[in-house]
Amino acid sequence: MNRAVEILRNYAGRKLRIMEVCGTHTHEIFRLGIRSLLSENIELVSGPGCPVCVTPPGFIDSAVTLATEHNAIIATFGDLIRVPGSTQSLASVRKHNALINAVYSPLDALDIARNNPDKEVVFLAVGFETTTPSACIAVKKAKEENLKNFSILTANKTMPQAYKALQCSADAFLYPGHVHAIIGTQLCEELTGCGVSGVVAGFTAEALVKAISMIVELSADGKPFFANAYTSIVKREGNIAAQKLVADMMEPCDCVWRGLGEIKGSGMQLKAEFAQFDAVKKFSLQPNDGKVNPACRCGEVLRGICKPCDCPLFGKVCDPLNPVGACMVSGEGACSAFYQYAR
Amino acid sequence: MCVGLSAKVVAINKDMALVDASGARREVSAELLDDLEPGDYVMVHAGVAIAKITADEAGEEA
Repeated sequence: MNRAVEILRNYAGRKLRIMEVCGTHTHEIFRLGIRSLLSENIELVSGPGCPVCVTPPGFIDSAVTLATEHNAIIATFGDLIRVPGSTQSLASVRKHNALINAVYSPLDALDIARNNPDKEVVFLAVGFETTTPSACIAVKKAKEENLKNFSILTANKTMPQAYKALQCSADAFLYPGHVHAIIGTQLCEELTGCGVSGVVAGFTAEALVKAISMIVELSADGKPFFANAYTSIVKREGNIAAQKLVADMMEPCDCVWRGLGEIKGSGMQLKAEFAQFDAVKKFSLQPNDGKVNPACRCGEVLRGICKPCDCPLFGKVCDPLNPVGACMVSGEGACSAFYQYAR
Repeated sequence: MCVGLSAKVVAINKDMALVDASGARREVSAELLDDLEPGDYVMVHAGVAIAKITADEAGEEA
């Protein structure tokens, strides 16, 4: 650890921009004070790896429609509840008696469906490769139990295309450890062929310092590189059972990311044989992109183009109690982390 | 979102595992891991055990 800290403190080479792709990394780096260890030639920028932050307002609009027009019980990871849609959030419709439940796991949403057979229950399936298998397991169990009142609204996303889309945003990525626990690391090896560099990192202070110091060392010769600094959890082949489960149940689709726009093939949706569990099909929803506040710079924050404090709304009309943009809502969003730790 | 919680497997019931995370117990899916046994340590994400870990990595005395 000491040697790694020395590397970070004493680095005097060319300026390095390192993007932490994962929102949990962003939050932990701030919380643990790791930025204070870095030489001024190392810049950390926050990427799009908070699933709540990249969820477009149109998705929230669909969830609001399900709650208010179809009287469905919405089960969701808590972070999504306060994300602004085009005109309303799930929190604002909850004040008018819409049934919005925060859950820790899609399996908890299944319990809600079992316990409320006369109500429709919709789980809001956001998340990257780490989280997508849990939504699949819930749907698989619902099918096995012939649970007719359960469905999921999918906004699941995959990282590979996003890495390519963000290629020029940073010199190297701090790859998200738990995404790669599922998908493995062959993709990262292949990305070096496209000039994309990075190191897979764990989540403790020691793991993060080690991974960032490896990026600094591996950057020295100017060639694209990849290394895995989280070998206890992340294997080259990944979690094959999880990969197979998702491949059996879901298929890639085009997907809109807040701030990045549509990225071809970067979303996941249920295959046709699971249509009865797909809320878009079950309730004939008309997905749209929704509207964002034009002054909000979340999109540029997510691409590492500007810092949260460069946004005219930051800390003035947008704060964690009254968030305008998604990056302020989620505890893992770059704006929220900046607001808490770096103002 | 991608935060994980390390926990110790207490019991297995078909494709579910009862785990203990610092005293808090809950059922999680064990579907993604082969040959899970009571006493194993796992990384749990959104109610699903996604990887086996060692007692040391879980921050427990072995």
